[in-house]
Amino acid sequence: MKKSEAITGIILFLFGGITAVFSLRMPIGTFRMAGSGLFPLCLGLLLMALSGLLLLTIYFGGERITEEKAKIVFIPGYVKQILPFFATLVLATLFFKELGYPLTSFLLLLSLLRILGVNRWTTNVPLSLVTVGASYLLFVKWLQIPLPKGWIGF
Amino acid sequence: MLDSLQPLISGFGIATTMQNLFYCLMGAIVGTLVGVLPGLGPIAGIALLIPATFGLNPTSAIIMLAGIYYGAMYGGSTTSILLNVPGETASVITCIDGYQMAQKGRAGPALAMCAIGSFIAGTIGIFGLVFLAPPLAEAALAFGPPEYFSLMVFGFIVLSNVTGTSLIKALMMAVVGLIIGTIGIDPVTGNERFTFGSVPLLSGVEFVAVAIGLFGIGEVLVNVEKPLDMLKAKVLVPRLRELYPTFQDLKRSIVAILRGTGIGFGVGLVPGPAPVIATYASYITEKKVSKHPEEFGKGAIEGVAGPESANNSACQSAFIPLFVLGIPFAPPTAILLGALLIHGVNPGPMLIGQHPQLFWGVIASMYIGNFILLLLNLPFVPFFANILRIPKKILLPLVILFCITGMYTVNNSVFDIWVMLLFGGLGFLMRKWAYEGAPLLLALVLGPKLEVAFRQSLMISHGDFGIFVNRPVSMVFLLATVLFLLVPVFRILFKPKKKGRSEKFES
Repeated sequence: MKKSEAITGIILFLFGGITAVFSLRMPIGTFRMAGSGLFPLCLGLLLMALSGLLLLTIYFGGERITEEKAKIVFIPGYVKQILPFFATLVLATLFFKELGYPLTSFLLLLSLLRILGVNRWTTNVPLSLVTVGASYLLFVKWLQIPLPKGWIGF
Repeated sequence: MLDSLQPLISGFGIATTMQNLFYCLMGAIVGTLVGVLPGLGPIAGIALLIPATFGLNPTSAIIMLAGIYYGAMYGGSTTSILLNVPGETASVITCIDGYQMAQKGRAGPALAMCAIGSFIAGTIGIFGLVFLAPPLAEAALAFGPPEYFSLMVFGFIVLSNVTGTSLIKALMMAVVGLIIGTIGIDPVTGNERFTFGSVPLLSGVEFVAVAIGLFGIGEVLVNVEKPLDMLKAKVLVPRLRELYPTFQDLKRSIVAILRGTGIGFGVGLVPGPAPVIATYASYITEKKVSKHPEEFGKGAIEGVAGPESANNSACQSAFIPLFVLGIPFAPPTAILLGALLIHGVNPGPMLIGQHPQLFWGVIASMYIGNFILLLLNLPFVPFFANILRIPKKILLPLVILFCITGMYTVNNSVFDIWVMLLFGGLGFLMRKWAYEGAPLLLALVLGPKLEVAFRQSLMISHGDFGIFVNRPVSMVFLLATVLFLLVPVFRILFKPKKKGRSEKFES
């Protein structure tokens, strides 16, 4: 737990460092006339300092409260649902414009329901169809929002 | 006094138009649903509904979004009492005595006292807003960039101190939010920052995407990881005639309601998750002043009436810093600030003068909204309770679809959906390592204001940092900031000696 917490501290330390480096490529100016890079530079350095402080407290055991209360627990058996669930979201976003809103949302709902264990086709297909139909009527017909039509054309 | 009532009366004229009444009702219903459903809090609820307000005038839009905020406080209590499941964090305390009352067959009076207490608190809170906001706005006119900078720094520190488990982690998240807030066009020089040639990033990172990602998608992912069993607990739904509290209930609750209202109103004015802190403060107070402290935890009605009044009152007073200073002190009001800016309204000391119809219309609508919620919550308790019977494995995909659709409609941009997914994944991991999303979101929304105030202050002082301590108001805020930063140090220095196991549990 201590090790994984330290890794988050290191990641944020690096993020602060990268911010500071990219800020230096912008005009810094003076305190009287601050350039675009001054504020993000200060923030990058501040994040590095805070990350360093976090790492120190973890190293010296001062940050006990986070160890006690952090829920760094991935529930076995259910964690395997997260990856396909998230991958489905990524795929749906990737093909959102090409497939169009009705088809993407239907496939998205169907996939997510199956991933979460709604396996009966007599349940998940009608549920997806009804939900997509209702959201299409709400967003496209009533609120007149131009959602992507894709190749099916509506 | 009458000077303040005259514009309020005109506000009622605005709030009672058919259109505004409809949006107030919609906000109250959606808010109650958001409060009832565990996992979908007011932050994600408001952010999701922002796109639906694009065709509306700013007053109607804010009336609906504000309705979601205070409606969620009402809805959260229903599931806490009937099922021991808090719909949102501000209702956690209500579970303690509310569920015990329900177990004893007294769910009706508990729900009724929640609704009555919330109504009384909301009403008093609105009057507090009416009488406090205009003089505070006048006082805030004297604020310059240094005062605003110090106030915002104070807000971040206090929020970081009271949120989550670690001050350092909360501060780190606030700084990350500020860094993300610098992406886009520099507000002072017009230079591009951290855009890496991306056109959508020129206008900055969409805060709605971050809010829905952190608090909507992130929450769904956390739920996906848990066992998704259907709610099997028996819902103890009272019948309508069982909702009436006894005279004894009213007698015991009224003082608790008034105390809760006062506590909530005060807490709402300072930075932090006001409704949550207010409920805890009210519960502790009620237990301390009660003649029967032993009843607390076993179904004391004061333990329900006080905290429920406190969270509603805190909701109302949280609008004061938002409307008067243009500075939100908590994530839900930060989202409302974003919504106001999208609608071309820049809140601050000039808001009351420049947009009186919006200010007074929204305040009047809160009063009407409280009344709608009172009517809505009591008879429809069985309906809201039964919503929880929808299995999570069906509910979660629906929330995802609504998040993606809602996100796309903000700018008709798939890029925003990517940003939302990125922050959704981050939100999930942040929960795992106990990093709070609230400071990040608040910093993202306030970041540009903070930077402009910082740079303007230094321009005024010709680069002298002394401007932040030479001006009395700014110095007071900075001193308070230092005090709050020292709180954890004092805690460590004056920590009581290690207690035995049983003593530890008692405390």
